[in-house]
Amino acid sequence: MSDNHYVNDKPFDPKSIEVLTPEQEAIYLAPQRQLIWWKFKRHKLAVFSGAFLALMYLMTVFAEFLAPYSVESRNSDYTLAQPHDVNLFHNGEFIGPFVYGYDKELDLEKMQRIYTPNRDRIIKLNFFCSGEPYKFWGLIEADNHLMCADINEPVYLLGSDTLGRDMLSRIIYGARISLTIGLVGIAISFSLGIIIGGLAGYYGGWVDVVAQRMIEVVQSLPTLPLWLTLVAIMPSNWSQVAVYFAITIILGLIDWTGLARAVRSKLLSLREEDYVLAARLMGASPKRIIGLHLVPGFMSHLIASATITIPTMILGETALSFLGLGLRAPTVSWGILLNDAQNIGVVALTPWLIYPVIPVILIILAFNFFGDGLRDAADPYG
Amino acid sequence: MIKTMAEYFCAVLVAFLMITSSVLSAEIPMLEKQVKAGTLPPMQERLPKKPLMVDFKGDDKSLGKYGGDLRLLMGKAKDLGQITVYTYARLVGYDLDYKIQPDIAEAFVVGDGRDFTFKLRKGHRWSDGHPVTSEDFRYFWEDMIKNKVLGKKGVPEQMLVDGKEPTFRIIDELTFKYTWEKPNPSFLPALAAPSPLYIYRPAHYMKQFHADYADKEKLEAQVKKSKARDWSALHTRMQRQRRPENPDLPTLQAWRNTTPPPSTRFIFERNPYFHRIDPKGQQLPYIDRLVMSVVSKDVIAAKAGTGEADLQARYLQFSDVPYLKRGEKKNNYTTRLWSLGKGSQVALFPNLNANDEVWRKIIRNVRFRRALSLGINRKEINEVIYFGLAYPSANTVMPQSALYKKDYSQMWAKYDKEKANSLLDEIGLDKRDPDGTRLLPDGRRAEITIETAGESAEETDVLELITDHYREIGLKIFVRSSQRDIFRRRAYSGDTLISVFSGLNNAVATSTMNPEELAPTDQAQLQWPKWGQYAGTNTKAGEPINLDSAMVQLQLFNQWMLAGNDEERTRVWHNMLSGYADQVFSIGTVNNSRQPVIISNDLRNVPENGIYAWEPTSYFGIYKPDTFWYDR
Repeated sequence: MSDNHYVNDKPFDPKSIEVLTPEQEAIYLAPQRQLIWWKFKRHKLAVFSGAFLALMYLMTVFAEFLAPYSVESRNSDYTLAQPHDVNLFHNGEFIGPFVYGYDKELDLEKMQRIYTPNRDRIIKLNFFCSGEPYKFWGLIEADNHLMCADINEPVYLLGSDTLGRDMLSRIIYGARISLTIGLVGIAISFSLGIIIGGLAGYYGGWVDVVAQRMIEVVQSLPTLPLWLTLVAIMPSNWSQVAVYFAITIILGLIDWTGLARAVRSKLLSLREEDYVLAARLMGASPKRIIGLHLVPGFMSHLIASATITIPTMILGETALSFLGLGLRAPTVSWGILLNDAQNIGVVALTPWLIYPVIPVILIILAFNFFGDGLRDAADPYG
Repeated sequence: MIKTMAEYFCAVLVAFLMITSSVLSAEIPMLEKQVKAGTLPPMQERLPKKPLMVDFKGDDKSLGKYGGDLRLLMGKAKDLGQITVYTYARLVGYDLDYKIQPDIAEAFVVGDGRDFTFKLRKGHRWSDGHPVTSEDFRYFWEDMIKNKVLGKKGVPEQMLVDGKEPTFRIIDELTFKYTWEKPNPSFLPALAAPSPLYIYRPAHYMKQFHADYADKEKLEAQVKKSKARDWSALHTRMQRQRRPENPDLPTLQAWRNTTPPPSTRFIFERNPYFHRIDPKGQQLPYIDRLVMSVVSKDVIAAKAGTGEADLQARYLQFSDVPYLKRGEKKNNYTTRLWSLGKGSQVALFPNLNANDEVWRKIIRNVRFRRALSLGINRKEINEVIYFGLAYPSANTVMPQSALYKKDYSQMWAKYDKEKANSLLDEIGLDKRDPDGTRLLPDGRRAEITIETAGESAEETDVLELITDHYREIGLKIFVRSSQRDIFRRRAYSGDTLISVFSGLNNAVATSTMNPEELAPTDQAQLQWPKWGQYAGTNTKAGEPINLDSAMVQLQLFNQWMLAGNDEERTRVWHNMLSGYADQVFSIGTVNNSRQPVIISNDLRNVPENGIYAWEPTSYFGIYKPDTFWYDR
């Protein structure tokens, strides 16, 4: 019977049976990156979140230009002023975006400063105009702002704080610290996580045991008391930048454990794959195997999980600064801004002081959706 | 039966007196049952023969009715001690003119400023009905202070003059005497203090915990039962006067605690043997019970604003006022704004004992401190943070004090940027960085970290304004907030350059009060912690003073200690105040700012405008909460 078995010794060309159109070819032969992008694009919320995040980070770059006032400029005549309403029409007449100037009086009965819009005083809002001078990135002198008032009276689109500083400007400047602190921290925890997790996963044995125990010790550290101690021993003459970096580094040093575990377990399974064996047989060094063959295999997964960790970092900074343990005034971050809002009276009487909560929530949500989309996209065949 | 006219007359008189007295002073409703049942004697027998009649006219008070609970909110269980501050029954205590008057004592005589004789009230009883006698004072002196085991800590500081203790002598059952070799002017103020020197204990009660008196086996059993280390630990625990934790401990205050800790709700009931009466002869206090609830201090403003307190000032801040005002009508209370009795609401304390040598030299230069003071725009601080209601002033006594002079509050305290700048130039800080920050002689930038305990938002706001003001005179300020303990430790060790705290505790001082806050006498003084420690510990720790102007303050303080009469004391006080103002040992901002006090609309006899201070008013103490009453 075996004689009847026929084997064609000509090379087989699959295309001869199933002819692919150029479109199909584009799909089937698309590189991994392309596939991920296609998949990601289908997650509308993630795309939207990604765009929002990009905008927010762009905002931190151009904070000086976007903020109507500098971070420290205050007008003690207008403390705790409520947000101005932006109008377009005055008495039925269109005059472009403007606000009504405030008349202020001190109500000693209520012990409050009362601001009432005066319909006779129109403050027009100009765009791309000259306003308060600043030094862009502390280097270039400029005075261009996205928006400024046309007369010398403050305009508070999100109200002012206890010392008469513009909340909108402070929120914009606060984004600088609050958004970047996550990135620096994640960079540290990322590299630590990959290195330690990679070594543990690839070598196994005693390396793995040591790494595992280390992770357990770090994870069992109670964070709040640790923070209290660290804040206490941080030298007081350190500049704010140094403190900021110290805080991010500490955040990163504590946060790498989860990632290290993920990397380790992933590597444990991947290292048994044939291509790893092949690489090893060909005499590749462990560094090359981990770096070139293993990590790229689940890089997308790593990126996705990092995206989800960034909000934790941002929340961490916000929480610590809120409690007065993290950064401190005159540095401005969202957490520091919220620190002013601890008082019960704030919620009842000056609700605009808790506005910094809104960007915090939005950023966290955006990161979560974005990370969600990335994770789905990371496995385009799934 | 009645034999003579005289006897007959006597009997009628007695009967008449009994009737009138019972009419005049009807029994307190809360105690009626017990009195009827015979477990408690009637009011006349519970009061001392000569009770203390509170002057209602002078204090503008009205006669009250009995009853009601006074609800108070506290932030921690330790605040139990605040009740003894509020109720303020002292052996001797301050009146509304801040003069020391007999209170628990019926009278006292001071001879030569070194010889103190006290006479107790006949028939005065502890809250358990046991008489108060000289024995209670002897017990404290001989069985506690002089006892080998209990007296380990030694004689209280205020009872030492030049390290020497007094001799204690009992004259009769109600009279006794303390005699020093030299005058001891801090003795009476210590007895009248908000957290006073208690020189008595209920001997009859305490003896059961004292090894010299108690039955050995019983005591051991009690020690074991309470898990104390030994009998002295048990004794110490049971005798606490300042913090009334032990419900069994007899007291002389108007209310006694009935709740053993731990608890979040402490109930104080009236002391049926309290020694004060109103002009009608009715025993005080009017209010039956104090109910103290312990909640998180962050929610006290919120709770007070919803009417959960009848009398509340602690943990309320000026910034809470708009919120508190809003709830007034709905929750039937009024927010009154009392004057805060501190030398300065927020004060800077340049540390003369700083470790940094360059900075220390600069800080010790009086011109630097004057420049710091001149560089603050107090008017702006007042307008922005205190609605212009406070009084811009150096850290010194307030205008309400008999010792006040305008010079003390305004010398070096008027905003003058140019003068401040030229003073700083003069002392060699004339080189500047391109951004305007001055350079120290060793080339460092003049950057100062101001440290704060970070306890109030108000302080942070003031500091932000000061940071701006100081930028104008070329000093860069960083604010570092930590925790109270760390903050103190850093200042004590000299790590801190400038600390921020509130100013003088007693800003309505009189010449009889101790001027210790104006001289290096205590480690807790943030401008000279090491010198203060040196003087406070009798040269055992700290560093000797090596700055003439601070030495002068200490010498003046010693003069006050030895002063024989009031004229001399007044002179020394003025010298100390003017020296302190001229040398700017601390930098004040504003005083007389407002303390919100929430008072239930039904509560009477609480003054409209009071001074809210630790010393000498003991917060509500000198306004006599035992005379407060509910009109409903």
